Amino acid sequence: MVEIVGSTMHPEKQKHSFEPKIIAFVCTWCTYAGADLAGTSRMQYPANVRVLKFPCTGRIDPVFILKAFQQGADGVLVSGCHPGDCHYIAGNFHARRRFAVFRKLLEFVGVDLDRLQFSWVSAAEGGKWVEMVSDLTERVRAMGPMTEFKELALEEQWSGAIDTPELKEAYNSI
Amino acid sequence: MSNQPIDTSIYSAISTAIQTEAKRILAEEQVSAVIGYTTARRQGSAQPIVITAANDAAKLIFSPACVNNLAVYLTKAKKEIPKQGRIGIVVKGCDLKALVGLMGESQLRREDLYLIGVPCAGVLGSTVQPATALTSDSIAPKCSECDARLPQGCDFVPSQTPATPELEHKYAAEIARLEALTPHERWAYWKEQFSKCIKCYACRQVCPFCFCEQCLCDRNKPQMVETTPRPAGNTAWHIVRAMHLAGRCAGCAECERVCPMDIPLNLLNRKMAKELKELYAYEAGFEVQDKGPLTSYEEKDDQSFIK
Repeated sequence: MVEIVGSTMHPEKQKHSFEPKIIAFVCTWCTYAGADLAGTSRMQYPANVRVLKFPCTGRIDPVFILKAFQQGADGVLVSGCHPGDCHYIAGNFHARRRFAVFRKLLEFVGVDLDRLQFSWVSAAEGGKWVEMVSDLTERVRAMGPMTEFKELALEEQWSGAIDTPELKEAYNSI
Repeated sequence: MSNQPIDTSIYSAISTAIQTEAKRILAEEQVSAVIGYTTARRQGSAQPIVITAANDAAKLIFSPACVNNLAVYLTKAKKEIPKQGRIGIVVKGCDLKALVGLMGESQLRREDLYLIGVPCAGVLGSTVQPATALTSDSIAPKCSECDARLPQGCDFVPSQTPATPELEHKYAAEIARLEALTPHERWAYWKEQFSKCIKCYACRQVCPFCFCEQCLCDRNKPQMVETTPRPAGNTAWHIVRAMHLAGRCAGCAECERVCPMDIPLNLLNRKMAKELKELYAYEAGFEVQDKGPLTSYEEKDDQSFIK
């Protein structure tokens, strides 16, 4: 007789009121392979993460992170090869400096840096990938939705606002 | 701090020295043109001028109203200005840092330039009338924290020495104030500042380092930065602008001077300069460097923020 243990294959999913959107920019040689390993090893991690594959962390322009937040991401993960392991020799070294500076800029503009995570995940570190995604998802879930950029996107052009009684009167008389 | 006058009496002697030198190098045909400042129509004001004849050298001046960074005329973005032969240029310390930065990025060659350095006691801020006397209140904020009053490595520098007293560091104070706020308060501050932006791109036009043939922010396939003057696109533009100037900005503060909406643009640049100094000991200076802080790396760079 084969005993079917369904509960371990599909553990009960916890219902949350808020499911954060996490965008992960990963390098194809290390972190993408690491995430693949997590998948083939049947490790469980939150489905909140959307993985975007790049040739190298050096190809990940800071403007991508900005764009992700503007398009509704609640958290962003950037991950690539460990220092010294870059397929293109020094891409991740350059990326490291660029991101170090970019996060200082975002911090100064008023973005909460807890929503932005950088990590080195190698092709062998499926477990670290799972841990990284789970941690960020839970942290961002606790913080709630990222509203700053979304509110900004909904705001009208400043000159279009009918914000004085005179303008309102003129508008209504049309 | 009370309003204290700043001695600009050396400027007339400097003007004479610039005129004599420009006349000499043009007459001896060492240069094909000299870019400098001349009087403009409003009383006390100055404007850039390009002279090609030795007789026009008498038009050159230097005064507290000579605010422009003339380095911008030498970049490839300004195609309407012919660059033939060696060109003479009048530079303040901050302008020279921009030229040095452009040389480091292989945009200019030292041997194509004849540098006339100006010992500078400071220039006027953008919010005062050009005929105003230079004081600790009317001086441009960048001049209050200037460390480059005497340009180094020029072909000619008048012998005068500026005597500007130690002034309150306005940018440093404002950066410290903002850093002490919560992220939410900082966001509110910048949101208000950026919402004023009308996307005139004057900051881009005047910046010596914005010489890209096509700006990322003008591209629409894919569009990375919204081009309409709405708050979302404005914020993205100013973040991208600050990021692209990080490690390159020479601190001439032209962006802030030309901004018609008075957005404190140089505040972002100063903040980035401060971080780059702390992280990678980089500062814009008078020495040409082949690699900037963001185009080079060291294996031991800080990575405490990376898990």
